[in-house]
Amino acid sequence: MGRALRPFPLPLRLAGAVLSGLLAVGASGCGGPSRAESGVVELRAWTMWGGEEADAFQAAVDAFNRSHPGIRVRNLPSVDDPKIIRAIVANDPPEIFTVRDPSYLGSLAANGALRPLDDEFRAAGLQEAAFAPGSLSQGRYRSRLYGLLYLMDCIGLIWNRDLFAKAGLDPDRPPATTGELLEYARRLTVRDANGRIQCLGMRPCEPQLVIAAFGGRLMDERTGLPTADSPRNIEALIWYRELIDAQGGSTEVNAFAGGFGQDQGINNPFLQGKVAMMFNGQWNPYWFQHYGPKVRYGAASLPRADRYPELQRPAFLGGNLFCIPANGKHQPEAWEFLRWTQTEPAQVLFASTMHGVPNLLSARKVRSLREGEPWKPYFGLFMDVATSKDAQHFPVTPVSGLYQYELNNAADFVRFGTKTPEQALRDVQRRVLREVGMWQG
Amino acid sequence: MVERQSGGGERAREWRRNLQGLLFVSPWLVGFLLFALYPILASFAYSFCDYRVLTPPRWIGLANYQALLTDRDYFLPALGNTLFMLLGLPAALVVGFGMALLLNHRLPGIGLFRTLYYVPSVMPTVAIAVLWMWVLNPQYGIVNVALTPLLAPFHLQPPGWLTDPAWAKPGFILMELWGVGGTVVVYLASLQGVPAHLYEVAELDGAGAWDRTRHITLPMVSPVIFYNLVIGVIGVFQYFTQPFVMTQGGPQNATLVYGLHLYLNAFRDFRMGLACAMAWILFLVTLAATALVFRSSARWVYYEGEKG
Repeated sequence: MGRALRPFPLPLRLAGAVLSGLLAVGASGCGGPSRAESGVVELRAWTMWGGEEADAFQAAVDAFNRSHPGIRVRNLPSVDDPKIIRAIVANDPPEIFTVRDPSYLGSLAANGALRPLDDEFRAAGLQEAAFAPGSLSQGRYRSRLYGLLYLMDCIGLIWNRDLFAKAGLDPDRPPATTGELLEYARRLTVRDANGRIQCLGMRPCEPQLVIAAFGGRLMDERTGLPTADSPRNIEALIWYRELIDAQGGSTEVNAFAGGFGQDQGINNPFLQGKVAMMFNGQWNPYWFQHYGPKVRYGAASLPRADRYPELQRPAFLGGNLFCIPANGKHQPEAWEFLRWTQTEPAQVLFASTMHGVPNLLSARKVRSLREGEPWKPYFGLFMDVATSKDAQHFPVTPVSGLYQYELNNAADFVRFGTKTPEQALRDVQRRVLREVGMWQG
Repeated sequence: MVERQSGGGERAREWRRNLQGLLFVSPWLVGFLLFALYPILASFAYSFCDYRVLTPPRWIGLANYQALLTDRDYFLPALGNTLFMLLGLPAALVVGFGMALLLNHRLPGIGLFRTLYYVPSVMPTVAIAVLWMWVLNPQYGIVNVALTPLLAPFHLQPPGWLTDPAWAKPGFILMELWGVGGTVVVYLASLQGVPAHLYEVAELDGAGAWDRTRHITLPMVSPVIFYNLVIGVIGVFQYFTQPFVMTQGGPQNATLVYGLHLYLNAFRDFRMGLACAMAWILFLVTLAATALVFRSSARWVYYEGEKG
């Protein structure tokens, strides 16, 4: 009988199995970028959109892939920002990605994590004048372009015509000034026999929207420093406090607003008749058509502060940026995709399914975006307001996330009367300034 | 010579056995070294750095600790919020123990009740948080629906709970009381281990129900109360998920607990060095609080078989 081969001891076999398992995972799972044998470059796009929105973006990706046989974009939906940041730090980022929270752009750019796009923008023959000003400036940090929006968001005033008529107000005339809005909110707030709120005249909103209505500024563009406690911003928060008080005070308003359902769906408080006015975005007309087609509403720019008649159609802008990581592969192909998103057909295609405002001014004139369905004229109105000279957006700084949080906190303190607007905004200024100093130093 | 060889063989065999043992535990050991010990040591080093994730850490000495301990806007209030949540611990201990006493009776269907009270502690925290957002809803929540008719004769409105800075933390404490089932089970196990003869002797001596609870049950289960207290203290200092899901620290920072503030520093503002310093301060505070509980235990915890 021949001597059998002695097997490895069990622990070694176990360790071997674990090791080979790890190697197998490492070899198969990561799916890095590749240039397939056919010469087609594969781009990984990590994007924020999920559900129906991911389908809408996939349709755009399919259109790109059809028209660009040398590049194949693969979309990974529902990706959050921290995952992208981890991938950048680990030196294995996707070739192109969206920033869900625009406040991340400044810190990513300040850390050199993003590829500046100015040279490509010029070389591609793109004209700055062809874009809505607010679309490009949202992607700029210290005058350099680090990201491009596919579409913009625009926030204005939306009001319920039936509730206006019930309160004896002209349903076709929205408040043009903040003074009027305050008076309307008082008249539109409805209580039951026990004194409990049944309908809020004006839905509480984020402080930066109120600041936009006052033409206030959150940053000095020349120095790049915050200006949280500038006089107009203080005026804005004083007005905001008056607005909340006019409707019963923060405790009562908060308790009532705490019962609001989700905005996207039939429980939207505006559709339920629980708020008569709100500052909200261009996506609402489409939602209303789907979730509450019987509700009669109107849309306009934000009202302007009474003291500043020079303000024209104030609005607040937002959006989700596409960026190319500085350490990403296939950067020319990634730019090719980004450039394609800024063409008129690509803008119209996405705007018609995602209901965002096109960056390209020419795309805004396309009739199919403005006509054909009852909600489209209102969507068109938001597209017009988005180009107003007094449409502003949150400044791009390395500390925008903190700044926004601090501002919301300040508004909270003011609403409850714990701090005066001056105190609250001075605290914001002090803290944000210190943080900016840490970035600069 | 032979002996020495045999001794050497023994050592070699022992070494091989040890190696085998180490190899057997190596998956855990490697995991511990890479994913626990290294991050712990790294976080200690980062706590002395200005570290913003995307750029290399820069040594700044004790500046993070100094900034934290003088931060009256967030750090100290966040620590205060967490300490406030400690107030819920005695309530949880009393409710848990009381419930265990009730569930310790031999009654028909008691198994069903024990299961029902235990169910909340096997539910995922996030699911509980979402559920309680509605339970505590000022308008439609079951708590306020029950309170409204009770308060109406006094012309009082029920609280706004999570929407009101004064009531948000008590709201969280109420929610935690709902989930005491886990501690109830531990109390129950302990209660059933109390020897029946002690109660019999006490009864013969004429002790009533209260005396039996006070002088027999409480001392006998005091090690378990102690255990639940220690676990509870550590749990309160690590409190995070519920405010993260339900209030994000608001209103007016009333629910910005320590863990949430730490998270926001790390993952919203990328102040990872500051967050690491916060983690180490949290470790020290938790250690001190636990040590305090341990020190006090000599006065009130009774271990069978020990003197005193």
